[in-house]
Amino acid sequence: MEKPFFKSTCMKLVYKCICKPILKFFVGIQYPDCSFLKNEKQFILIANHNSHLDTLSLMTSLPGEMLWKVKPVAAEDYFGNTKLKAKFSNFFINTLLINRKSKKEDGPNYSINKILKAIDDGYSLILFPEGTRGEPEQMSKMKSGIARILSQRPGLKYVPVYMTGMGTSLPKGSGIVLPYNATLHFGQPTLPESDDSYAIMDQIEKDFAQMVEKYGIKEDDDDDD
Amino acid sequence: MKDILSFLFPGQSQEVILMISVIITTLLIVSGVLIVMRKFFPEKNIKEIVSRTKSWWIMIAIFICAIFINNTISYICLGILSFFAFRELYSVLHFRQSDRNALLVALLAIPVQYSLAYFTWYGAYIIFIPVIMFLLLPPILVIKQDTHHITKSMAMLQWSLMLSVFGLSHLAFLLSLPDIDGFASGGRGLLLFLVFLTEANDIMQFVWGKSLGKHKILPNVSPNKTWEGFIGGAISTTVIGYFIGFLTPLTTPQVIFTSAMIAIFGFAGDVVLSAVKRDKGIKDMSDTIPGHGGIFDRVDSLSFTAPAFFHLVYFLAYPPFQPFELIF
Repeated sequence: MEKPFFKSTCMKLVYKCICKPILKFFVGIQYPDCSFLKNEKQFILIANHNSHLDTLSLMTSLPGEMLWKVKPVAAEDYFGNTKLKAKFSNFFINTLLINRKSKKEDGPNYSINKILKAIDDGYSLILFPEGTRGEPEQMSKMKSGIARILSQRPGLKYVPVYMTGMGTSLPKGSGIVLPYNATLHFGQPTLPESDDSYAIMDQIEKDFAQMVEKYGIKEDDDDDD
Repeated sequence: MKDILSFLFPGQSQEVILMISVIITTLLIVSGVLIVMRKFFPEKNIKEIVSRTKSWWIMIAIFICAIFINNTISYICLGILSFFAFRELYSVLHFRQSDRNALLVALLAIPVQYSLAYFTWYGAYIIFIPVIMFLLLPPILVIKQDTHHITKSMAMLQWSLMLSVFGLSHLAFLLSLPDIDGFASGGRGLLLFLVFLTEANDIMQFVWGKSLGKHKILPNVSPNKTWEGFIGGAISTTVIGYFIGFLTPLTTPQVIFTSAMIAIFGFAGDVVLSAVKRDKGIKDMSDTIPGHGGIFDRVDSLSFTAPAFFHLVYFLAYPPFQPFELIF
């Protein structure tokens, strides 16, 4: 896959020179060092989803050189509902639009098939397995689609990312960004240990449980209710 | 170096220029020693000190540019410092989802507070957060009708605002103090005195504690703090304060007393924030400054020493200062 020079430069400019300083200094997002991702040829970023800031902060944290070949997977009914929105998001966010309600019988339009095709084309993906933005600071149950994708493409690594504070900064249903020191925590790029989708799902859930334990917000235990 | 600095910052008094050259010389010496140590004793682990010193260079460069280039920029930069500190504090304290509106209103208090300092409206400046915000924020919290843990939110919100905005804004009001006859350095001299002495106090307490520390002072709050560090640090700070007293309009006994107060309040700020961090189970407030932690890890003592120092100097050196005469 050849690197489109114009698009790549545009994306680098928009993300690294405009979005990142705003997110870092005004919103207060804390970026870890992600240069280790440069060594990975292809991967799927798996992250928890609480806010519209999630995709933006994940994209800005990635090394600039690879931005053009990372596709965030987004819902067609939400981001593709107007032509302009779809065009715009395709150029700057590079989105891979999927229909959340599609079924196996839809053939190439079936969401899993669309994702597999993008992987075969050489793209890396950003995926939110929870499917939708949940309650702030809470992880809901992950859908199994990610495991089915990984089981069909053995050798593909996944990188778990756990984000805290995004839901407080810009929760679902709110239009105002509250400056907040939200943090991204990157896990190591991991190969699935088996090709059975149930086992892969267990492995991913275990990874996230560990990260939640390590970085998650601990609720006060002196509650009297 | 003095000539270069006088050229770079015209309009600053000789005392201020001298002080800046002292700071830069000290840093040059420390960096020199570290470079030599890394060359001849590569087995010694000085990585943390090296990254700390690097961060000091950056912080001092930003501080000098922010304070000595342009008056208006000084206020804006101090306001931004307050914003970073406040954001860091409420992010660590974990407010409830229903507190977002109140937090947004509290953020708006920062430009207001710094404007009041800029326009030298002392009466409004001094009551804005302790009185007006104190009365305004709880009703905004109540509008959401989520009473679970609301007392905690009310208390935490006012406390963080007092510390990070009210406390630190005294740095800005130092710049608004009127000129006194025979005292050329003005507010900038006082600001430099306060910031230098507070940071020197932090470093001195650390150095004395590391080298001589045996008797723990508050073992359940901060296991690294010792009586030796506190007392040694306080004495060194007072001595340093005596020597850089030329930056202030105070008499010698007043300088000694004020420096000792800075040492004590600096220590207080340090341990108060340590206790908060311990309660929240974190080591640093964030990882913004390499080697130091977050912004608030650096300005924790300053948020205590700034109001203490300001009101001491205001009481000792500025009678009968009537701010309203300045406006009207």
